[in-house]
Amino acid sequence: MSTRFIGTSPNRVGGFGRVTGLQEYVADIRVPDVLEAKLVTLDCARARIISIDTSAAEKVTGVRLVMTAADLPQPMPRFGPQLEDRPVLAVGETKYHGEPVAIVAAETKDAAEEAARLVRVEFDELPAVFTVAAALDPKAPLVQDPSLRPKDPLASTNVLREHHVGWGDVDAAHADCIVENTYSFPMVTHFAIEPHAFMAAPEGDGIAIWSSIQHPNWLQKIMAKLLKLPLAKVRIYAPDPGGGFGGKQHTKYEPVVAFAALKAGRPVRLILTLDETFQAVRRAACEIRVRTGFSADGKLAFQDIKADYLIGAYCDIADRVVGKGSYPAAGPYNVPAVRILARSILSHTTPSTAFRGFGNPQVNWAVESNIDEGARALGIDRLEIRLRNLAHKGDAFIPFDTPADGDWDQAVRRAAELIGWEKPLGPGRGRGIAVGIKSGPTTGLSYSTVRLLSDGSVIIFAGTSDMGQGVRTILAQIAAEELGTPLDAITVVMGDTAIVPYDQQTSASRSTVLMGNSVLMACRSIQSQLRAMAARLHGVAESDITVERGAIKLPDRELTILEVLKPGLGSLGGELTGNGESRKEAEPDHPLGGAPAFFEFNCTAVEAEVDQGTGDVTIVRHVTVSDVGKALNPLQVRTQDEGAAIQGLGHTLMEHYIFDESGRIRNLGAIDYRIPTSMDLPLELRSETIENGDGPGPYGSKGMSEGALLCVAAAVGAAVRDATGVPIRDLPLTPERVWRALQERAEPAAIGRNAR
Amino acid sequence: MHTFAYERPATLAEAVALLDAHGPEARLLAGGTDLIIRLRDGSAQPAVVVDVKQIAEMSSTIREQDGIVTIGATTVVADIAASELVKRHFEALAEAAAVVGSVQIRNRATLAGNICNASPAADTAPPLLVYGAVIVAAGPRGTRRIPITEFFVRSGVTTLAPNELVIAIEIPVPARRMGAVHVRRTRRRGHDLASVTLCCSVDETGVTRLAYGSVGPRPVLYVDESGVLADPDGADEAKAPIFERMFGDASPSKRSMRASPEYRLAMLRVLGKRAVRTAIERLAAERAVEA
Repeated sequence: MSTRFIGTSPNRVGGFGRVTGLQEYVADIRVPDVLEAKLVTLDCARARIISIDTSAAEKVTGVRLVMTAADLPQPMPRFGPQLEDRPVLAVGETKYHGEPVAIVAAETKDAAEEAARLVRVEFDELPAVFTVAAALDPKAPLVQDPSLRPKDPLASTNVLREHHVGWGDVDAAHADCIVENTYSFPMVTHFAIEPHAFMAAPEGDGIAIWSSIQHPNWLQKIMAKLLKLPLAKVRIYAPDPGGGFGGKQHTKYEPVVAFAALKAGRPVRLILTLDETFQAVRRAACEIRVRTGFSADGKLAFQDIKADYLIGAYCDIADRVVGKGSYPAAGPYNVPAVRILARSILSHTTPSTAFRGFGNPQVNWAVESNIDEGARALGIDRLEIRLRNLAHKGDAFIPFDTPADGDWDQAVRRAAELIGWEKPLGPGRGRGIAVGIKSGPTTGLSYSTVRLLSDGSVIIFAGTSDMGQGVRTILAQIAAEELGTPLDAITVVMGDTAIVPYDQQTSASRSTVLMGNSVLMACRSIQSQLRAMAARLHGVAESDITVERGAIKLPDRELTILEVLKPGLGSLGGELTGNGESRKEAEPDHPLGGAPAFFEFNCTAVEAEVDQGTGDVTIVRHVTVSDVGKALNPLQVRTQDEGAAIQGLGHTLMEHYIFDESGRIRNLGAIDYRIPTSMDLPLELRSETIENGDGPGPYGSKGMSEGALLCVAAAVGAAVRDATGVPIRDLPLTPERVWRALQERAEPAAIGRNAR
Repeated sequence: MHTFAYERPATLAEAVALLDAHGPEARLLAGGTDLIIRLRDGSAQPAVVVDVKQIAEMSSTIREQDGIVTIGATTVVADIAASELVKRHFEALAEAAAVVGSVQIRNRATLAGNICNASPAADTAPPLLVYGAVIVAAGPRGTRRIPITEFFVRSGVTTLAPNELVIAIEIPVPARRMGAVHVRRTRRRGHDLASVTLCCSVDETGVTRLAYGSVGPRPVLYVDESGVLADPDGADEAKAPIFERMFGDASPSKRSMRASPEYRLAMLRVLGKRAVRTAIERLAAERAVEA
């Protein structure tokens, strides 16, 4: 397609402000008379609260409010996107390290911090569970009160829910080779660079809430219900987040800050420290047992997968993560028999939530690693075994679902070519290749409004959130393409529920597809109004007029939009308005409540060098190829892809929570929880795309912001295995873990390529 | 944050008087990269913070005179890493200075602060031990010189008296040709705290000096004058007992999250051997240049 704006990489809309410090994040916004808040927490995970004495805290100069559970409506309001199980403040018992039992609001941050230290909580530490094994022990203390889930046969266990998916008959399937292993994936946190920030202010007969949130409309619904206010009286300001990664999707401390603001009668704000962020958002840890059956020719005979996700103390969106993330666990392959059991397991740890990849990276690590083991056992090349099983476009690889929607083998072949799969390896080096798949959004609703002003400039109103992925730019590019308006004459308005129409959510890599289609529809509505205008002005039939980008084509001539718009609007000026609606309805009979709008497919190939003395893993080359349908903005696609790859290296090589025996997170903060820096990047990182224009989004695009994270661990793990001969089935692959594995290997392994 | 008095003396005498008056209630502020964090998290609650950056007698220069390089107490680590003088005479110190903290930290942190903080993991300590640095301290009775081998006690504790402060660090220019290297073990390549930090030098007479930190309460120095370690063709079996003597007393913390004791001890040996090898290679390169 020859276009002026699509497929180009103009300067990012809002990029200048973002990199120069001009952009205002929630923490930068000052409203008059705002009070600074601090949460009061206990120094253990689970405790029975005996009493809370706020008298000393209240005496601190500048303190205006100390609020405990007793000061909130009774019974304690609870909330959550999936289950309404999380109390605004802990009532009776804390369930994880960092759960707030009170909030202090003061004139200064120092006063709030001092007062928070002076809130005296008398408590008894209680037995608690921090691991899958401990949570599943029949004698384990229950994380949730069974009365929260009446009629649920699992209510007397720490299993919140079981998800069963499958087809074919696993038990009857014939296999020439069966490989069974257990893998683990660590607890990690999002580590967004912008701190999570919350502010609330009484506003007339309603409330205004500022939040670094990805889903402002979902927050609005939850707050309206908690506060018993009409939606129209709850105004959510959602400035562009500085990184979300799923951690900013759902309501966290907005309720406690809102109740504090209403009680204090003044605005209250809470800016989390990095330490507190660790106690607010994380990815579910997971233990996965995979039994894979192969035919002698490497064809997959069955996959039998059991995944236990440790979701934490409250549900948040975690059970959806478990269900949706485990659902395509058998991968992008044609597998005749599949049985998947995924369990959401409660524990006395930070409630886990959505995180880029949404439950898929955990099972991908296990299943892709196990395919490597099968290839080795069968003496089949690890690339070849994937190509033999990969679903082709149109294959119903999940029988009751969206068929394979891309030429995925192209991505695999390209990644293999870029990594030099067939080339000889240097000493101490190994290669790995893995594929990942993730279901895109299963439901969706995105409204937008586009206004074409009298001078040809454009304002787009779209409620999706630009958290760094660059959706403002994409939407502006679509409007520019459709209306011929230069990008610098387009304004994109987001993040205010009183102004911007409803958008369901910014997640599952949906914005380009769903909101993109909505904006496209709004622009096309304006195009048809322009056609009507031109027909009226020039006395030709509407059907004889086409609008293409900036041009209005009449049978005998071509006019610019302005040449029609100005006379069409007349002396009073005015504007044209178009509305867009992109809707993906729920399908109640589908296991996920809807078939995915698209699949994200990625192939990652890695060459790694392992220092046999220290266990250090150096990623010499990292190749990621994603099937994106159409890259509307190639630079943004590449940076999203690279960002996902690097974030994946975090949980692969270094990131993990460390707990003590009381369930306290020992490595809170940046010093002992390490994320990759620029120094830790692969020596060479190559991102490419497959573009066949076969996506459901504008111009054939698909969502793509998570793909390159999905199979990083499996690709790196395979490369380390290839370099050392030692399989490691627990992440992260820290130098010490790799070193230990090398120490423990029974005999000097055959290092090299004999059975790659 | 806990409240405290802030003093910025203009002379050494005033600074010493403040330390004398407040004793352990006073804390010195130079780069502040350790102190400010501790003030914020409440783990340090001094009555008075004495800022040494305006003291007339304190210098942030690096100069050479009579075979001694003197690094002023307010010299920041970034300047040491970049100093041609340091790189020429004390390559391993420049290497260590280049990995202290992050760029931002190195632009503020001082060498004197790094050693006075006495973290067992301080990266500059092993090279200072290897190069035989001398700490110049000022107190009520004037200045005194403390060999660095007698400086560190344990984390946060040195042999400085409460009313003394470091005003300079002197390092003798090696009299003999030498190859030296600083190496460390971290959890990632980006800035990180070392789980082993180690420096080794080999000189042309066959003396090997090896110092390491982060595997015990304080950084320590071992010297091998036998020439066995420095022998490029020496057998591993001959070197092994010397290494064991050097590493035998290491006692890494069991509580650390950064690395287990077993890993640290193993890495001490891996890094030690690698460092000796590199030092020998560098010495050979020195000889080649001069030949």
